[in-house]
Amino acid sequence: MVQIVNRIKTNIYDILLKRQEANLSYKKEYLVIKTEEVNEKRAKNIAKTELLFNHKLAKYETHAGIASSYINELIREKEEIINKQAKLDTRVLKQKIKQAKSDDLVANLNKKIADVEVNRLKRISDAKVKYLNPNPSESDKALYDNQRKELEDLKQERIKKINLKADLHIEKINKQTQASIEKLSASISSFKEKLIKLEEQMTDKNTVVLEKDLILSLRNLSMHFGGLKAVDDLSFDVKKGEIFGLIGPNGAGKTTVFNCITRFYKPTSGNIYFNNVNGKTVHLNEMKVHNVIKEGIVRTFQNVELVWELNILDNLLVAAHSSYRSSFFHHLVHSRLTKREEVIYTKKAMKILNDLDLTPYTYAFPIGLPYGVLKKVELARTLMSNPKLIILDEPAAGLNDTETKELSEFIKKIKDEYDVTIFLVEHDMGLVMSICDTVCAISFGKKLDIGTPKQIQSSKVVQEAYLGGE
Amino acid sequence: MTYETKMKNTYKNKLKSMVKHPYFGFFVITIIMLLVQVLRVAGVDVANQTLRAFGKTMIYIIVGLGFSILLGFGGLASLGTAGFVGLGAYLLGYFTNNKGYSVFLIILITIVVAIIVGTVVGFISLRIEGMYLAIITLAIAEIINEVFTNWTAFSNGIDGMIVNNRIVLFNKYIVLDPNVVFVAISLALLLMMIITFNIMKSPTGRALLAMRNSTSAAQAMGISIFKYRLLAFIVSTVYAMLAGVLYLTYIPSTFPVPGDWTLNLSLLILAAVIVGGSRSIYGIIMGTFLIFGFDLAVLSNRNNFGGYFVEHPEISIMLNGVLIILVIMFYRGGLIRLVNTVIAFIKRLFLKLKNKWKEYRYGPDSE
Repeated sequence: MVQIVNRIKTNIYDILLKRQEANLSYKKEYLVIKTEEVNEKRAKNIAKTELLFNHKLAKYETHAGIASSYINELIREKEEIINKQAKLDTRVLKQKIKQAKSDDLVANLNKKIADVEVNRLKRISDAKVKYLNPNPSESDKALYDNQRKELEDLKQERIKKINLKADLHIEKINKQTQASIEKLSASISSFKEKLIKLEEQMTDKNTVVLEKDLILSLRNLSMHFGGLKAVDDLSFDVKKGEIFGLIGPNGAGKTTVFNCITRFYKPTSGNIYFNNVNGKTVHLNEMKVHNVIKEGIVRTFQNVELVWELNILDNLLVAAHSSYRSSFFHHLVHSRLTKREEVIYTKKAMKILNDLDLTPYTYAFPIGLPYGVLKKVELARTLMSNPKLIILDEPAAGLNDTETKELSEFIKKIKDEYDVTIFLVEHDMGLVMSICDTVCAISFGKKLDIGTPKQIQSSKVVQEAYLGGE
Repeated sequence: MTYETKMKNTYKNKLKSMVKHPYFGFFVITIIMLLVQVLRVAGVDVANQTLRAFGKTMIYIIVGLGFSILLGFGGLASLGTAGFVGLGAYLLGYFTNNKGYSVFLIILITIVVAIIVGTVVGFISLRIEGMYLAIITLAIAEIINEVFTNWTAFSNGIDGMIVNNRIVLFNKYIVLDPNVVFVAISLALLLMMIITFNIMKSPTGRALLAMRNSTSAAQAMGISIFKYRLLAFIVSTVYAMLAGVLYLTYIPSTFPVPGDWTLNLSLLILAAVIVGGSRSIYGIIMGTFLIFGFDLAVLSNRNNFGGYFVEHPEISIMLNGVLIILVIMFYRGGLIRLVNTVIAFIKRLFLKLKNKWKEYRYGPDSE
């Protein structure tokens, strides 16, 4: 009885802990985003104020004949308008010349074109005089100096006010968020303590704890479909941070192993253990399919399974689904939380796309993109949920040699940059032997051999399975 | 940039951002609908029937919006929509006539009942897919219809119940003016369009789309099939039943009769969604106007075509059939795709003509 109560308690605490941790990570992101928002607003306001004061000062600058950058800008804009007008006039006149029948008319029109040019230059010089007094008097200059000082002071005061307001705002946000972060951290640590206590009470139950350097462990896994033994008493361990390859002839049960790990199949017997995101060992047999991703396992599929109606960016956001905090009712009214989360995850997706050189495809739709790119997008998608273990089902299927080579570089890059373990099934021996750290060969659901690629290549059992005995 | 140009651009940008806002189109549609009513009040000769047609079509648009979340996003087919619309109508009639509940309370009750019904159908959809699911929803709608016919205490049997636009507003019976209800329906439509848009563009919409593409891939992405199937059915049922409530407040002196909520109506709604485009709000509005509005406003008006289509109502159904065949053969994405293509074409044409005119007026560009 106590056991059952404890177990229920553990589960509840686990759920609460996960929610609190999600809150914490959101709060941290929120702080960054909100600060950026405030700073953006501040910069905008300052630019506006400066423009306004420049505008006020321009009158005195004109009288005093001082060619400040604002005055130059005014003149440039005026010139642009004049030039445009002149160009259009010339174009019309030229058209008329083409249509003209008598030489007289042509000469007349040519004269007009010359006039337009003269007129243009005159208007430009007029504009310059208008905005820049050529012979300013001393009193004008004095007035200008006076006004400039005044306006400068006013401007500085305004900017100071804006800065002060923004700083106060940021400080307030910081204070509030820090307080809630501290609160959250405290409750998280208390939950963790409670969990540890509960687990101590439950020690008599034979819970399995994996060693720290392992990430996944299959123990005596069997999967029978009726009389067919697709996987038969299979055990192996996957180490943290390696690329693990599972090979075998057709029908050896490789994909079945995958589906057992990701919970699409329920194994007939045997256990699967996994060291999850929090470093806790979980028994995968008890998980639901859509909860596996929360523990840190993501998979891809043999044929590309993207959402065809969404663009690449949205496809990446689909994969972040498990980390969204906003619920359906938030989405219904498009609440602030929804908007901010969209910003957070869009930023993350953009970063991943940028890291993997997929930026040109951000807003493209998957239909019509090359197969190699789609495979890469699918790989990029797995990274959205901060995985620990990425499971790739025949990543090189349907790719040509160059694309396969690119893909192997790509997989290595992902492994190094995102600190993940990669577990793959592949037919392409070149790919497996070049990138894998450990290879496990199976045949008819039974383990043949496990070791480094070189050991597997020289293993007699494996050769027999592939090429036939004797 | 100088101060003057900046000020000029600010107003321009403000206007631009208003026009470009996704809700802008919904407001335009609501204003157009309201204009019909305003014209009528102002004395322009709008036929009574045309006005009714607009009101009815708007109600069917609301049903269609819910259906698009189910079909276009969730990828689940249902033929029980008409039964749910009828259930909403009957709930309003029953609670007003027999219990005297306030209309707001009835709307709440309707939503709760819709959630229960949606959950039941959603649970069924977990085990059964595709065509078979459609048949089961059809069966559920037929059961609901039989209940309407035989449970006399609830529905007054085959005669139907007489409501006559009477509702209870804060403890008092009032008879609704259809002109006021028309405005209320327009506003309800606006609200529903905005909500539907929010769902479509949110993580929920993306999750539904992912589920529609491949259930296994969606599960691997952490999307619970159980949750989202149920959600899709609940949302579409809530829409349908609220539309039923609106229907009964708007249609004068008719009573809900069991015969109104049959497969025929469900199929027409399905046709409207598919003809217009199942993933676009504007597409659904267009499809509903083609399937329901055109028939109600133009063909079934005695003054048009010498009353020919009133005497031969089957021709209107045949026209619908031809439309559906044409759309499915040539425009799988619905007529909204056709409209988008045409708009893009017109834009290009306009640009071309503008350049040509410039060349004609000013001569060839020298640079």
